Amino acid sequence: MSSKVVGTSSFNHTQEINIIINSFVAKLKRRQIEGSYLIALETLQLLKRFISASRWNHVNELIEQVRELGALLEKSYPTAFCCGNVIRRILAMLRDEVEEEVRESSNINTDNLVQSAEPLISSMFNLFQKPETATHEVYHTKTKTKTDFRQVVIQAIKDLIDEITNIDDGIQQIAIDLIHDHEILLTPTPESKTVLKFLIRARERANRTFTVLVTEGFPNNTQNAHEFAKKLAEHDIETIIIPDSAVFALMSRVGKVIIGTKAVFVNGGSIVSSSGVSSVCECAREFKTPVFAVSGLYKLSPLYPFNVEKFVEFGGSQRVLPKMDPRHRLDTINQITDYIPPENIDIYITNIGGFAPSFIYRIAWDNYKQIDVHLDSKAQ
Amino acid sequence: MTGRKGKTSSKKKNAGSNSKKNEVDVDDRLQAVVLTDSFESRFMPLTAKKPRCLLPLANVPLIEYTLEFLATAGVDEVYLSCSSHANQINNYIENSKWNSPWSPFRITTIMSPEARSVGDVMRDLDNRGIITGDFLLVSGDIVTNMDFNKMLAVHKKVHSLDKDHIATMCLSEATQYCTTRTFDPAAFVLEKNNNRCIYYQDLPSINSKEKTAVQIDPELLENVDEFVLRNDLIDCRIDICTPHVPPIFQENFDYQTLRTDFVKGVISSDILGKHIYAYITDEYVSRVESWQSYNTISQDYVGRWCYPLVLDSNMQSDQTYSYESRHIYKEEHVVLAQSCKIGRNTVIGSGSKIGEGTTIENSIIGRNCQIGEGIKIKDCYIWENTIIGDNSTLEHSIIASGAKLGEKVILNDGCIIGFNVIIDDDMIIPKGTKISDTPVKNLQASIFEIESDEEQEDAVNEVNNDSELALSLVGSNGHGYIYDSDITEDEDDSSNAYKISNTLTHQLEEFYLSDASISSTRKRSKKKRSMSSNSVYTDREDVGSDFDDEDENEDFEEEGVATVERALENNHDLDTALLELNTLRMSMNVTYHEVRMVTVKALLKRVYHFIATQTLGPKDATVKVFSQWGLFFKRQAFDEDEFIDLMDIVMDEIIEQGIAKPDVVLFSVLNTLYDLDVLEEDIIYKWWDNGSESSKYDEIKTLTAKWVDWLRTADEESSSDENADEE
Repeated sequence: MSSKVVGTSSFNHTQEINIIINSFVAKLKRRQIEGSYLIALETLQLLKRFISASRWNHVNELIEQVRELGALLEKSYPTAFCCGNVIRRILAMLRDEVEEEVRESSNINTDNLVQSAEPLISSMFNLFQKPETATHEVYHTKTKTKTDFRQVVIQAIKDLIDEITNIDDGIQQIAIDLIHDHEILLTPTPESKTVLKFLIRARERANRTFTVLVTEGFPNNTQNAHEFAKKLAEHDIETIIIPDSAVFALMSRVGKVIIGTKAVFVNGGSIVSSSGVSSVCECAREFKTPVFAVSGLYKLSPLYPFNVEKFVEFGGSQRVLPKMDPRHRLDTINQITDYIPPENIDIYITNIGGFAPSFIYRIAWDNYKQIDVHLDSKAQ
Repeated sequence: MTGRKGKTSSKKKNAGSNSKKNEVDVDDRLQAVVLTDSFESRFMPLTAKKPRCLLPLANVPLIEYTLEFLATAGVDEVYLSCSSHANQINNYIENSKWNSPWSPFRITTIMSPEARSVGDVMRDLDNRGIITGDFLLVSGDIVTNMDFNKMLAVHKKVHSLDKDHIATMCLSEATQYCTTRTFDPAAFVLEKNNNRCIYYQDLPSINSKEKTAVQIDPELLENVDEFVLRNDLIDCRIDICTPHVPPIFQENFDYQTLRTDFVKGVISSDILGKHIYAYITDEYVSRVESWQSYNTISQDYVGRWCYPLVLDSNMQSDQTYSYESRHIYKEEHVVLAQSCKIGRNTVIGSGSKIGEGTTIENSIIGRNCQIGEGIKIKDCYIWENTIIGDNSTLEHSIIASGAKLGEKVILNDGCIIGFNVIIDDDMIIPKGTKISDTPVKNLQASIFEIESDEEQEDAVNEVNNDSELALSLVGSNGHGYIYDSDITEDEDDSSNAYKISNTLTHQLEEFYLSDASISSTRKRSKKKRSMSSNSVYTDREDVGSDFDDEDENEDFEEEGVATVERALENNHDLDTALLELNTLRMSMNVTYHEVRMVTVKALLKRVYHFIATQTLGPKDATVKVFSQWGLFFKRQAFDEDEFIDLMDIVMDEIIEQGIAKPDVVLFSVLNTLYDLDVLEEDIIYKWWDNGSESSKYDEIKTLTAKWVDWLRTADEESSSDENADEE
C-alpha cells in the first residue's frame, strides 16, 4: 500500500533521492540508527535533500509529498517518534508561511480579500464555488512564490537542526536553579545524554555537591548505567549504582527523580527508553518525591496515547534469558521502553522552559498543526 | 518499495560507483557467497516444488533472513549459487528489493545446475574467478542476529598473527538440550588459547546406538599446549574464507562437503600446512536444516529471540505487521470473528479470515487463508492461500500453500500437507504423514544427492507402488499422494538421523543427550561410514593412489574403461565409481561425451563377458549389468541432447563389440534404462525419429522398433507386464 503512495507522488523526484530515502528506511527498519537525537538529525538531513530534489507546481503538492515521506518514515520505525515530530514541525512552519503569504497577497488586492483568503484555507471547496476568480488567483500567487518556499523550508530545517544540536544549553540553564546542595537525586534513565549533561552542568556551573543514584536497568540498560556512572564520577559527582529492586527502599531519602524522555505526548504522558521507570515514578508519587522529566522540544509529539501498547517497544527475549532450554519453553517479554502517565510527572524541563504536564498540549499546538497529526491520509 | 522507477539511471550510477570502488579499495570490498542449495533432501516432499531457501518461515522466504544478515553485516557483493530450482531463485531475487538501486549490496546469481555438492560450487567459483579477497561463505538458510563485525575483527586479528590461516568458522554454543544441536553433531578439537581448530570429526547422530571415539593423530597435537574437545558447538555455516579456499577445493576435486571433507582434510594435512580457526559466539545463530529446526526457529523468531530481527520490523516492503503483547503479530486487513480466540505466539498474515469459535495458539498463518468456524489450531504452520473447513482440528503440522482441508478433518502431530493437496471432509490423517500433490518420484534423485544407489532403486520402486492417489487418506474427493521416505531407509544406518530431521515432532525425550559419552576412549579399528559423503572420503586414498600411479598423458578411454571395470569387479558403490570417473574427467579435461563413451564400453564389455562365458543369456546379462550400473548415466547426461548422444553411443558400441544378438541387447539396455527412469519417453521418441537410417543399424534396430512402437501406444502402468509378453 505504502509503496503505491510513494510511487505516485515521488514520480517526478530524481532517482537519487529515492535511493537515499529507501536506504534510510532500511536502516531504520534494521534499527541501525539508534537514539532519538541521531534519528531526528538524520531525518532532517534527509528532508533537506528531499526538499531540494522535489518538484511541485503548487505548495499544497509539496506539503502532500512531505506528509507522505513522514508517513513512510513513521511506518518504518513506529516507536521512533522524533522522526514524525520533526517532519510535523517543518510542515507546521510551512503551513504558517503559506498562511502569511496569503494574508499578504490578499492585503494587496483588497478587492478579492474574501475570495482569495478563503480558498487557501480550504481551497477544495472553493474550487467548485468560484472557479474563475479563486483558482486563478491562487495559482497566480503560488507560481509567483514557488522559489521562495524551497528556501523557506530549507531555512526552517536548518533552524531546527540548530535547535536540536543546541538543545542541551537551553535545558542546562534551568538546571542550576533546580538542584540544591547536598541533595540526593535518582535517575532511572542512564542512557539519556540530556540527563547526563544536565547533571554535569549543575555540578560544574553552580558548583553544587550532590549525590546521584543510578538504577542499573537490568537487562537492557546495565551497560549504559555503568558508563553513565563512570562519566558522572569523572566529574566529581558522587554516584551510586543501585539495583532496580532497591528503588522503593531508597525513595524516602531521594530529593528529586530526574528522568530523560523519548517522546512526550499531548496529554503530558511520556515514553522513556528503559523499562522500570514507570514503577520508579509510581514509587516517587507514593513518597511525594518530585519527578522532573528532561526533554528537548523535538521530542514533543502531537499524538495521543490512546493505546499505550502500540507506543511501547518490545525488545529481544535473549536479553532476559541468555540461552533457553527448549524443554522448558517460556514466553519471555522484554519491554524496552516504558510509558509514564502524566499524573506521575511533576514538571517537564524543556529547552524553552519548564512546564506542567497539563500545559503540554498548549506547547504542542504552538508547534504542530492539527491537520498533520495523522500523516498517513488513508489511516484516518 | 518503489521498485520500477528509473532503474537504468541508477544502475548506471551504481556501476559507476562500483567501478570507482574497484579502483580505490579492492581489498576492502566484502564479498559473500550464499549456498542456496543444501544438497540434501530433508524438506521433501515440499522441496520438490520449491527450493528450500524460498520456503516461508514466519511468512517470509528463508533466503531473506540470510540476505538481511548480510545487509547488516555490511557486505558489498553477494553471489547466490543456485543449483536446484535455480530459475525460481533467480526470478525471486530479480523481483526483490535486493535487486533495486538502493539495495545495500550488489547481488548476482550464479547458476550451476550441475553442482552436486558444496565442493562443486567452490570449484565453480574458482573457475569463474569471482573471488578477489576474503569472503563470507554462508548457507542460504540461516537465521541470526549476530554481530558480524566482531567476527570479522577476530578473523583479521588472527590473520595478522598467523599467515597460514585460511578460514574462520562461526560456531555457536548450545545448551545441553538445544534442539538444533541434535542434527549433524560434530566434535571440534580446538587449541585453547587461540581457538585454532586442530581436529574435526562428525559424530553419529545423537540417538543412534553407535558409539564413537574421536581419533586424533598424535602428530596434530605437536606444539599444542592445551586443547579443548567440544561437542556442544553448533556449526552455523558462517565462514570467512580467504581467497585460498576455492583453489584448495580445485586441487582436491574429491572434496564434497565443507566440513567432513574440507575442514578435516585441510587441518589434518601437513602438506598444506594451513590453519582454520573457530569463532565462538553466544548470539542467536541457527540453520533451518530440518523440519524440527524449522519448528524451533519459527518459535524462537516469534518469541523475539532474534531481536532486532523481528516480524514487526516489517523488513519486506509490503509487510504491515504490528505487535501485541503475548507475542501476537497481526498484519493489516485480518478479519477475525468476534468469538475466535487468538492465543500466544501467533502470526496472522493479511487477508486471512478466521471464523467464529476458532481457537489458534502458537501458530503461524500466512496471507489470504480462509480458516473456518470451530477449528482448533495448535502449533501449526499454515502457509498462504490455504482453506481449512469448519470444525477441523490441526495439531503441530505444516500445511503448504494452496492446500485445502475439508470439514472435520483431524491432522495429528507432525503431518506435512504439500502444496495444493486437497483433503476431503471427515478424514483423519495419522501422525507424521507427508502428503504431496504430485507423486514425488525421481525428482529427488535428479535434484538432490542420493545417499546410496540402493535407496534410489527403492525410490524407483516406490514410485511404481505409490503413484495411485492415497484416497484412503485424502478421501474420495481429495487429491494427494503419500510421500514416504523413511521406510526405505530403515535398514540404513543413517536412517535414524534422517528420521529425526524429517519429523516435526519433539522427540527430545528419546535422545540420549549425555555429554559424558563423548569422553569414552573406546578404540575402534574403523568407524563404519554410512553417509555417502563419508564413504567418498574414505575411498579417496584408493582413488588418489590409483590415479597417481598412472601417467596422466595416457589415453582417457583406456583409463576410463579400466576405472569402470574395476568398479564393476570390486563392486564399488555408485558414488565412488562416479567420483573416480569424475576425477579422471577433470584431470584429463574431457567432456561428458567421453565419460559416457567409456562407461557404455565398459558395461557392454561386461555384458559381452557374461554372454561369452555363457553364464547368462544376452537379455539377462544386459539387464543385470545395466540395472545395477545404469544409474551412472543419470549423472553423466543432463539434457535431452546428451541422452540422445548416450543412446547413439550404446548403439554404436553394441555393433563395435560384436555382441551376440545385438538386437536383444540394445532393446534390453534401453528398456532397463527406461525402467530406471534414466531415459524418458519423449527423448526416446526423439532419438528414434532422428536416428540414422544407415543400413548397418537395421539389424539391431528390429526389436527396438517394436519396443518404441509399443511405448507409444502402451499405457505407462502396465509396462513391465507387457514387456514380458513381448519376449
